Amino acid sequence: MARPVYGGRHFRPSCPRSSMAEVQEQRQLLPSPPLSPQDGGQGEGGEDAPETGSSEGGAEPPPPTAGSPGTEEPAGDAKKKIDVLLKAVGDTPIMKTKKWTVERTRTIQGLIDFIKKFLKLTASEQLFIYVNQSFAPSPDQEVGTLYECFGSDGKLVLHYCKSQAWG
Amino acid sequence: MTDDKDVLRDVWFGRIPTCFTLYQDEITEREADPYYLLLPRISYLTLVTDKVKKHFQKVMRQEDVSEIWFEYEGSPLKWHYPIGLLFDLHASNTALPWNITVHFKNFPEKDLLHCHSKDVIEAHFMACIKEADALKHKSQVINEMQKKDHKQLWMGLQNDKFEQFWAINRKLMEYIPEDSGFRYIPFRIYQATTERPFIQKLFRPVAPGGQLHTLGDLLKEVCPTAITPEDCEKTIQVMIHGIEPMLETPIQWLSEHMSYPDNFLHISIIPRPTD
Repeated sequence: MARPVYGGRHFRPSCPRSSMAEVQEQRQLLPSPPLSPQDGGQGEGGEDAPETGSSEGGAEPPPPTAGSPGTEEPAGDAKKKIDVLLKAVGDTPIMKTKKWTVERTRTIQGLIDFIKKFLKLTASEQLFIYVNQSFAPSPDQEVGTLYECFGSDGKLVLHYCKSQAWG
Repeated sequence: MTDDKDVLRDVWFGRIPTCFTLYQDEITEREADPYYLLLPRISYLTLVTDKVKKHFQKVMRQEDVSEIWFEYEGSPLKWHYPIGLLFDLHASNTALPWNITVHFKNFPEKDLLHCHSKDVIEAHFMACIKEADALKHKSQVINEMQKKDHKQLWMGLQNDKFEQFWAINRKLMEYIPEDSGFRYIPFRIYQATTERPFIQKLFRPVAPGGQLHTLGDLLKEVCPTAITPEDCEKTIQVMIHGIEPMLETPIQWLSEHMSYPDNFLHISIIPRPTD
């Protein structure tokens, strides 16, 4: 697969992060995390009404979406949650809801577990997540840190794939 | 620049004398002697402990052995963190050798990633290098390299071949002269006292006016609690590769000379010993 050329992109300037209030005990391999879908209207190509997170048995219903279009939260650091846009690669199934609001401390592994449940993948099927279409972050990486360093236009774009796309 | 090249060698060849002891609850057929090893600071536990594994497996039954993992004073050691970072963060102010406990049971799923083969280590190592280059060069340098160059970085680390590694890595340390440095510095700051895994943010090595940012500038910006006011007693240490670089050191220089092979500056903030 040809390696995509990385185009120029505007990076947000670094801002000091406010200290984290509470600490989660289970930091890395969290059970199915509740992610909040963003309210509809912003989706790509005529979305249906966004589903309210994982509907599999055993998963908790997600907390209500933090903001709706028109009531923007303060930008950047003060937010406990960040916006993530999930893009499918190759013949990986496309998620009906692509935009999600995710807690900063959510790990990549947590995200992988969520997407796998959402797409109804089996436990043995692998899922890879890429940042900038160039590297696969460690499963224990927090999305908040990735957003700080690789976010653009107020969101973190992540590509997901059932096979290794960018090595 | 002979002195600077010496720094690269000193970093590469740093070693930590370590004593591996089998966890007392592991089932053995006879007494397990401790195993002594000099660990490379720049490498990863699961990459350099094949001999440790073999040594303890000799006194155990096959059925009592599953994935090996390491612990220091009750804390599981993350194999995907470089060894030097783990030591600086957890044990730098304790007496040598570093005493690590070896486990073959009850893998702590919540704390550690699995490491079923060397391929996992290679994938992790290369991902870090790619992330670092995304920050330094918008991935342009790493993307222009051929697969065999990527392989050479890994082989250099795996086989402890300084020249082989740096033949390729030097390209990742280049920048166009007009820029005075990388786009952003790949760094992670770890503190043993907090639950946060690490601090990593965007930080430019050069100020708009052209002055080089220092280690002190970085800390002030992203970890202000690490900076002690002038007349106060220093209670913390800022440590990289077992030493405390002067806070006036340009961060660009530190990034070029004291990064780990994964191209990240892994910085430990630890309490200063009180003795």
